[in-house]
Amino acid sequence: MAEEKLVNVTDDSFESEVLQSDVPVLVDYWAPWCGPCRMAAPVLEKIAGEYEGRLKVCKVNVDEERQVASKHRIMSIPTMFLFKDGQVVEQIVGVTPNFENDLKRRIDPYVE
Amino acid sequence: MVDTAYDAVIVGGGPAGLAGAIYTARDRLKTLILERMIAGGQIYNTDRIENYPGIVRIDGPTLIEQMQKQAESFGAQIRQGNDVTGLEKLPDGMVAVVCGRDRYIARAVILAIGSSYRKLGVPGEEEFRRAGTGVSYCGTCDAPFYREREVVSVGGGNTAIEETLHLLKYARKVTLVHRREEFRADKVLAEELRAEGSKPDSKLVIKCDTVVTAIQGDGRVQSVKLRSVKTGTEEDYPCDGVFIFVGMVPNTGFLKGTVQLTEHGFIRVDCAYLRTSMPGVFAAGDCRIGAAMQLATAVADGVNAAITMKQYFRDPAWWHKPVTDEIQPSGW
Repeated sequence: MAEEKLVNVTDDSFESEVLQSDVPVLVDYWAPWCGPCRMAAPVLEKIAGEYEGRLKVCKVNVDEERQVASKHRIMSIPTMFLFKDGQVVEQIVGVTPNFENDLKRRIDPYVE
Repeated sequence: MVDTAYDAVIVGGGPAGLAGAIYTARDRLKTLILERMIAGGQIYNTDRIENYPGIVRIDGPTLIEQMQKQAESFGAQIRQGNDVTGLEKLPDGMVAVVCGRDRYIARAVILAIGSSYRKLGVPGEEEFRRAGTGVSYCGTCDAPFYREREVVSVGGGNTAIEETLHLLKYARKVTLVHRREEFRADKVLAEELRAEGSKPDSKLVIKCDTVVTAIQGDGRVQSVKLRSVKTGTEEDYPCDGVFIFVGMVPNTGFLKGTVQLTEHGFIRVDCAYLRTSMPGVFAAGDCRIGAAMQLATAVADGVNAAITMKQYFRDPAWWHKPVTDEIQPSGW
């Protein structure tokens, strides 16, 4: 795979990487046991590349970063939250049939 | 915009697509697989396969990884994260596979686009699914979030039973709701489930002849409404989550207006040579009419399409000829 563009975020770095980010942040909550999460990964990488500089794409391993996962009440993965200025503005649950386009449609109104 | 020519473009990197690619690539046909996510398809989400002949037991990702390596070792290219959006027959007989702004030109195409989970279609389902607050279609993904909680699973096929057994490793109580008396699943699985349910202190409750008519709760799932098919009586049944395994629907939405589909969205093929209504375009696996939706049958379809493709290359007019025993595959 090409260079990894997703930023791995932990309980400790969530505040600085996500909440205080200057650009909108798409956060992917995933776990190693989750097939659809692994299937979604190349699409998220692609989006990170296409929106570089306008959007940050992060991932949170819910198996390890339990504080963040439980604070955001993650009950189903993959779940993606779009943060802008520290607030959740969109929530996308699961991998839809037209995943890439569905994600872009939700992201586009919030990026420059 | 990119226009690149291939002998075979295979849409979908699940078992059908990978099996087809192993055959076309071994035949030195320039082969490209376009996969909208990561190679694997539905089987990628299965942690327990024990009905694939020759392999006693394996998990989906491991099997797929081997299939992918095998296809690539013969020269097949796999492009992941490429969502095919359209299909077009060109005047010179080639087929254009449209991927957003890119187009791939192929002498032949195998549509191996698979299927996705079916929804139950009851009030509350979509709302809780969207919010991620208690409706799931993937037990292996979400079971760990239900440690010490109570869940309802719905369905009667292989997936429903495998996933229910998986949920039992985490949840405090699992209730399997099935609309019929008998399970459609393989008998081995149904017996395992019944045995699990009749253990003393079992965490499993089986409710047959029962349907879920609504999913309810304030902000998160708190109960389902159940109706007995035989007596019609209804009850509110408390639970923290609902796992739905009620079959699959083909991923053929983007094909409307190209190849012929059935009323339920499956691709029409002749079922012997897997030819669709568009010359040069084959369909294989879960997405075609009459699909058994099994790993082994998907693999068989991919192989079948890869072999019959050669007859099409030799004689394009063959496309419109009826199924016949005049040309046997061994003679191709």
